Amino acid sequence: MTPLSKMLIVGALLMLSGCVEAPKRYDYAHFRTEAPRSILIVPVTNKSVDVNAPDYFLATIATPLAERGYYVFPVNMVKSVLSDDGLSDANLVHAGDPRRLGELFGADAVMYISIERWDARYAVLSTAVTVELTYTIKSAHTAQELWSNHQRVVYQPQANGGGGIAGLLANAIVAAIAKAAPNYMPLAHQANNGAINIKGTGLPAGPYDGLFGKDTSDY
Amino acid sequence: MTLRVFLIAPILVASLAGCVTNHQRYDWGTYDPSLYAYYKDPAKAAEFAESLAAIISAADSHQAQIPPGIYAEYGYLQLQQGKNSAAVELFKQEETRWPESKVFMDRMIKVASTPTAQSSTK
Repeated sequence: MTPLSKMLIVGALLMLSGCVEAPKRYDYAHFRTEAPRSILIVPVTNKSVDVNAPDYFLATIATPLAERGYYVFPVNMVKSVLSDDGLSDANLVHAGDPRRLGELFGADAVMYISIERWDARYAVLSTAVTVELTYTIKSAHTAQELWSNHQRVVYQPQANGGGGIAGLLANAIVAAIAKAAPNYMPLAHQANNGAINIKGTGLPAGPYDGLFGKDTSDY
Repeated sequence: MTLRVFLIAPILVASLAGCVTNHQRYDWGTYDPSLYAYYKDPAKAAEFAESLAAIISAADSHQAQIPPGIYAEYGYLQLQQGKNSAAVELFKQEETRWPESKVFMDRMIKVASTPTAQSSTK
């Protein structure tokens, strides 16, 4: 067997195992006790230097949660209403009591997202675009943490030019483009998918999914 | 060797596809990109509102599944433009379709029905 086909087989096995069973199963005891029907996504905290990252990220998160079967409160409306009530500071909202938010909105659970990294590190010949996020869901009834997940997605453009000067040049061009306008959205989508839709670590099916309460062997 | 690669490549692709839960429960129209564009350029509020209206009319005419939050989101944009009665109607629709929204929608219906509501919602 050639080294290339060996590598492909190993790669295929790694990917298959990554999908079938996650490395470490999350403890869903509290989540199952509460079985939340609705999730309130509050403004996102930001440890990156990109001031726009929280808003941009907010545009990606309602869809995968709703598709998982939960009622997701309207994210833009919630953001504006909180801001009207003097709660535009995401750090303050995150430090506050989720039960208070639960009363205001009638939510079962609150999702807190923290942006750890959202940046493009530029080097002459290669650029890495990184999105790193922490997701936490707390009960709006008991304030207990029900679920959490951490995702880091790195995009490193690789030109196919192979070796030699041509390949190096191609890499430099790709790096320059990524630096000029890094597109974080596909990375955010990938992070959300990795957080929510992986068996054993993701979110159990919500009430608008037929598997609601029946997927205990996977979650 | 080339034969092996041909055999393995489809497995790689299939296993990648298997990771993603790809069925769509709802008809989202251009919700994600429109909200993103609106956050990127607040002058695009009208385009965001149009995308929401399109999702609602698609749901009305084709029985497509409307996602949670869309009636409310559109209603809130109406409220911001001072179209309070339209807002109330949309908040009621959200509440009827999604009982989980009742507490929030009742509160917003109250806000939209109060004559002084405009000053507090900018």
